[in-house]
Amino acid sequence: MMNKKLEVKNLRISFRTAGGKVQAVRGINFDLYEGETLAIVGESGSGKSVTTRAIMGISALNAITENGEIFYDGKDLLKFSEEDFQELRGNKIAMIFQDPMSSLNPIVKVGKQLTEAMLLKNRTRRKNSRKDFYSMIKKLRETVKADGSDENGEYAKLISQFVKAEKMGVSAESKYLYARKNAEEAAERLNGLLVTYQKESEPSRRAKCGGIFRYAAKCEDEFLPVFEGEEFKTLLQKLRSPAAPGEADLQRLQALLHEGLAAPVPDFYAIGYLRAFSKAGEAPQEPDKIINTAREFCKTFDADFAKASERGVLYSFRNSTQKKEQAIAHLKDMRKIFEGEWQSDSILSAAKSLAKEIDACIDPVEIRKESAERTFGSCLRSYCTRYFKGARKNKKENARYAKQTAKRERLLSKNKSIDWKVAPPALTDLDALKQSALTAIDALTALYERKTADASRFDPKTETEHIIGYLKARASETAAKVSKTSAKRRAIRLLNEVGIPDAEKRYSQYPFQLSGGQRQRIVIAIALSADPDILICDEPTTALDVTIQAQILELINKVKRERKLSVIFITHDLGVVANIADRIAVMYAGKIVEYGTAEEIFYSPAHPYTWALLSSVPDLESSGRLEAIPGTPPNMIYPPEGDAFAERNKYAMEIDFKREPPMFRITETHYAATWLLHPMAPKVEIPASVTDRIRRIKKEAENE
Amino acid sequence: MSENQTDKREVLLKVEDLCQYFRSGNGELKAVDGISFEIYKGEVFGLVGESGCGKTTTGRSVIKLYKITSGNILFKGTRIAAGTRKLREKLSDLRREGRKKISAFRKNKDTDAAAREKQALDDTIRALREEIRKAEYDEKHCNRAYAEAEVVKVREEYEKKRECCPESELESLNKEYKEKLRVASHERITNKIQMIFQDPIASLNPRMTVRDTIAEGLIIKGIRNKKYIDEQVYKMLDLVGLVPEHAGRYPHEFSGGQRQRIGIARALIMNPELIIADEPISALDVSIQAQVINLMNDLRKTFGLTVLFIAHDLSVVKYFSDRIAVMYFGKIVELADADELFLHPLHPYTRSLLSAIPLPDPIYEKKRKRISYNPLLAHDYSEDKPSFREIGKKHFVLCNDAEAETYRKELENK
Repeated sequence: MMNKKLEVKNLRISFRTAGGKVQAVRGINFDLYEGETLAIVGESGSGKSVTTRAIMGISALNAITENGEIFYDGKDLLKFSEEDFQELRGNKIAMIFQDPMSSLNPIVKVGKQLTEAMLLKNRTRRKNSRKDFYSMIKKLRETVKADGSDENGEYAKLISQFVKAEKMGVSAESKYLYARKNAEEAAERLNGLLVTYQKESEPSRRAKCGGIFRYAAKCEDEFLPVFEGEEFKTLLQKLRSPAAPGEADLQRLQALLHEGLAAPVPDFYAIGYLRAFSKAGEAPQEPDKIINTAREFCKTFDADFAKASERGVLYSFRNSTQKKEQAIAHLKDMRKIFEGEWQSDSILSAAKSLAKEIDACIDPVEIRKESAERTFGSCLRSYCTRYFKGARKNKKENARYAKQTAKRERLLSKNKSIDWKVAPPALTDLDALKQSALTAIDALTALYERKTADASRFDPKTETEHIIGYLKARASETAAKVSKTSAKRRAIRLLNEVGIPDAEKRYSQYPFQLSGGQRQRIVIAIALSADPDILICDEPTTALDVTIQAQILELINKVKRERKLSVIFITHDLGVVANIADRIAVMYAGKIVEYGTAEEIFYSPAHPYTWALLSSVPDLESSGRLEAIPGTPPNMIYPPEGDAFAERNKYAMEIDFKREPPMFRITETHYAATWLLHPMAPKVEIPASVTDRIRRIKKEAENE
Repeated sequence: MSENQTDKREVLLKVEDLCQYFRSGNGELKAVDGISFEIYKGEVFGLVGESGCGKTTTGRSVIKLYKITSGNILFKGTRIAAGTRKLREKLSDLRREGRKKISAFRKNKDTDAAAREKQALDDTIRALREEIRKAEYDEKHCNRAYAEAEVVKVREEYEKKRECCPESELESLNKEYKEKLRVASHERITNKIQMIFQDPIASLNPRMTVRDTIAEGLIIKGIRNKKYIDEQVYKMLDLVGLVPEHAGRYPHEFSGGQRQRIGIARALIMNPELIIADEPISALDVSIQAQVINLMNDLRKTFGLTVLFIAHDLSVVKYFSDRIAVMYFGKIVELADADELFLHPLHPYTRSLLSAIPLPDPIYEKKRKRISYNPLLAHDYSEDKPSFREIGKKHFVLCNDAEAETYRKELENK
């Protein structure tokens, strides 16, 4: 079984509009696995874009998320704040939009648009890492203080030593990274040159070598011993002389570069500690020795620091566990209150106090953050306030509805023709809110019970190790600077990857100077620039014509394979889907009506809407009348009572107009929501035009 | 279809060497560069190609939305549009060469020959000028002759009627006659060509009701009888699958498919003989596309309409068209019957286009190999320039001699 990347559960989204509440997404569930492409097919207004926009956290301002969860990496995206989303958007989940012209800024050069995010993200990442580092240090110091074991201020000394060592280490590391990047660039260019060396003319060889040598000259660092060595320097000197560089020498340079890059990465924290606290003359200068000495040198300090921190960690854990035990009892009491009739004052104050108590239960120094615990307070309070607000509004809504219906009846009884309908009351589902609150309480209780039961197994030593590891990782993240030149290098590499010729030239052009296909490639490159896990493609080829469309699809497929991306592909074109999808979800009127692998959807479709979609598109062999779907999609302000497709469905049964069909399981991976699959339903054959096509396709596949 | 049958069919639209250039910056953009084709009465002629290849420009030139640069467009045998650029260029070339010749004769003191040459030059120039003048006249006044003929027709018809009309009905007849006469004098031959636009949202005026939108053509034609107009509008609405109640509504109250139906009704009310459908279904939803295609198919059968169908979705073009022309950068590279084109594509661009069609079939899609087309690699036109030739029966390809030979062989082998 593959890893689940993304899980959407019972998502409901509506939009406030002048005409009423449009129910765009009405309870959909799907999973996205690692490295697969999930296609969402449906006509406009079926809610496919709304779903993905909710995943990205860019829903329209009038959108109301009524219910549901979107889990990514164990966290519920619907409960994310804008700041959290900024971390996630682009970094983890990237999106390609429909129209490349409107998603690129027309007055900013391509290169700037590509590197903008890299530079900004790098800056914020370094800033955040620094913030995280110091806040964790602060928390550690506070817990140790609270523990009372640090009476004579020894721990404060240890902490300040640790911070100083990290500072020194980071400065060494950033130098090292700079040198390494130059070496990498030189090696890459040299590899490229050596491949085409024989075919190049003399001047172009020299020009290319010039660039390589410039980078190679900048890769000296004490921790990259090869580039400091005599051989590398003399070779570079020799190559830089006006005589044309020979191939053998270049190959030697290549070998040296590779050797240098293969050198192990030293422990910069240890080196920093050595530099900060060794006496004069104690620290050796040779890189090999310095690494080993440094490790030896900081061993005792590490042990001391870990031991001192351990006490704080253990104290903090015990403290919070104790609080949790109390909280469990309290939660159980509170549940009874929340189960009963909700009274505005008592419930709100109960929610407030409970939220405060749970917030206090959080262990300040834990690394793995439980979202159920951290989001509990805000969720509970929002459920409560929404409940009471809803209760007030429901009253008004019901009154309005009653009044308007009465008026309508009155007019009808007077035999007047009326062309308006009474909008059904837009009621807040109070029971659902109550239930959500109870679920949240239950989930937290279960979590706390599990945690307190596991408390005896808590190992402060490994936990402390994790914390120190976390601190070191944060510190080292601040060292990785992305400069404008290195961002440009990466951007050009990306442009090459997405298949844009003359990347260097395109880098400094404006979007209007490029063709439609190239623009879409740029958009894809921007999406890939932060190495996302999930790529959402919202109709990326609809604005392009066939040949370009085929190229872009090939590109997305290639990128997906190479980077092991998970892709959500939204489209209304079934032909496009066949090419790219592993699994397909067919959406209609805010619901998933059929769900299965590509083969299942195309060769054994089960839902009448899927049949209709398949038979309404002409293919190269179609002749005779097309099977058009009569009518238009329903108005989602007044979603139909039963199956939303029933009105346009010629196989509709009576029950279709009355009750919504559940998801019927056909195979392990194939589900469809239609009453036709109910064991009591009459047997209905798939329409001839669809079966014909499937037969034809299978025959062709055999012939080939 | 046998050879004789096709020849007997009436040519409705004939496009000869159509060029449409646009000024862009300092240079010129050759949107359409010398294309010729004929559309027979009652057929659907598909025009495909990638975006920017000049399909839409061709359609718009035919309906005289642009003033064409050079070439002729003949509709029902009447020239409705003519460009003079090429004629003028020819004129100046002739003049330059003629003068050179004459001065050469004069240098040799051969006055007789010089006079003869001058006479000949003057004659050809006069003929050319006459041609240009005619083209300009046709371009401007193509509708005048048609309207005059219509007026004469109406006049004759009513003169006969008036003779045998009783005294009491004479007044009403006179009224009717006046009305008909006015309509006839407003009649234009270009009204017989109507266009359906790509984007049903942008092509309808949001401030006009459906009735106003559909009736606009009739009003411009000079019809003032409100009752007749309403009747016609309702008839058209009924025809395209809308109901008369829709007439009072505004475009924003309709769905995409319904809006496109309004666009079709607006075109049909003028009783056209040729319809130019410029990507009529590209902007529509999948489930609606089939409705519109079916509607157009029905209308075509009932009215015997001729359609110039412009689209980039090849499956739809194949389904809907009788003959297909493939355009690439302002030129038609291949023209053949729909089935023939899809069975035996000859030009490399057509092949690459066909190889890119996505089909709803995962197994086929995973095996599909796309052929890419690069005009610089595919052809060698450095010496032998290409021209439009017939390779197979009714199968035309843009190619040079060497290519024509290989194409012919390929076609025979199949």
